[in-house]
Amino acid sequence: MSTTGDSAQPISGPTESGKECSDWQALLERIPYARHLGLEVQRDDVGLVVHMPCREALIGNFMLPALHGGVLGALIELTARVAAQSQDTDKRCPRILDSHINYLRSAQARSTFASAEIVRQGRRSSLVRVTCWQGDKRKPIASGQVQLLLPTMAAKEADLHEQ
Amino acid sequence: MTESNRAQHSDAVTTAWQFTEQVPHGRDLGMQVVSVNGNQVCMRLTPQPWMFAEEDTKEICTSVLYSLADSAGGLAVFAGALELMPIATLDLRMDYLRPAIGDRALLAVATCRHLTDEVAFIHCDILSESDSALLATANATFMRNTQGQRFQAGGRKKEGA
Repeated sequence: MSTTGDSAQPISGPTESGKECSDWQALLERIPYARHLGLEVQRDDVGLVVHMPCREALIGNFMLPALHGGVLGALIELTARVAAQSQDTDKRCPRILDSHINYLRSAQARSTFASAEIVRQGRRSSLVRVTCWQGDKRKPIASGQVQLLLPTMAAKEADLHEQ
Repeated sequence: MTESNRAQHSDAVTTAWQFTEQVPHGRDLGMQVVSVNGNQVCMRLTPQPWMFAEEDTKEICTSVLYSLADSAGGLAVFAGALELMPIATLDLRMDYLRPAIGDRALLAVATCRHLTDEVAFIHCDILSESDSALLATANATFMRNTQGQRFQAGGRKKEGA
């Protein structure tokens, strides 16, 4: 993951980056649907990457074969959620408000990777841009923007009153 | 699931309906086509605990709604076009209005709003079956006649879904 405002900071050492990787993995494993999809966190030369291994249940077109567009949607949304949550000082669990995904190339039935960039991390909301690729990172197959809402005390109290 | 009006449709819609129900990801999530009426498609999904967004809440992961909207949208292209051809999703925008609670079935109602030779514009609403509450809305654009594998002699092949 890269944070737009933090690009000048030195790359953290191996111990710290290992911790960041396991933090992301722990956040992902708390999401039952992420476990179902088999998402796992890896580190490449730039930052953290979420890997989605290919399996039959992810196929949207068995003739080509190609991954289902919704599977890429899930990879993008869940990567955005974990990126936003790991960036939050209180590790609050964000709610996904909306997502807009552009499909750039056909998604083959093979391993897919996603990286996140925090466009803006605010007190109440977070905007994350996610890019997906397969063999060649310079040829993205999809990119998306996800808007997330971070829960505040005021919102929690309002929820309690509603119920 | 209902076999309601499948038999009344053109070959193109019937084939697209069958194709949609055979898609591995759709089968994994348990998506079913309920009906096709004119340019409108209705699909249904019964949530499972592994679709949740968190262990302790019963909220369904938004990405499950996303997949349902993408599938229903793809079928709505064929409902609008009445013609089989390879299609591909160009983009899809979801707005998640309310959390989807895991003990209620989801319905997707997708409509083909406008069709050109090259593009189909789709709107999809995701509703809670029990109380018809609007949970999410989607707008998608599909490319028609995409390059790639064409329909074969049997008329059973298409791209994208």
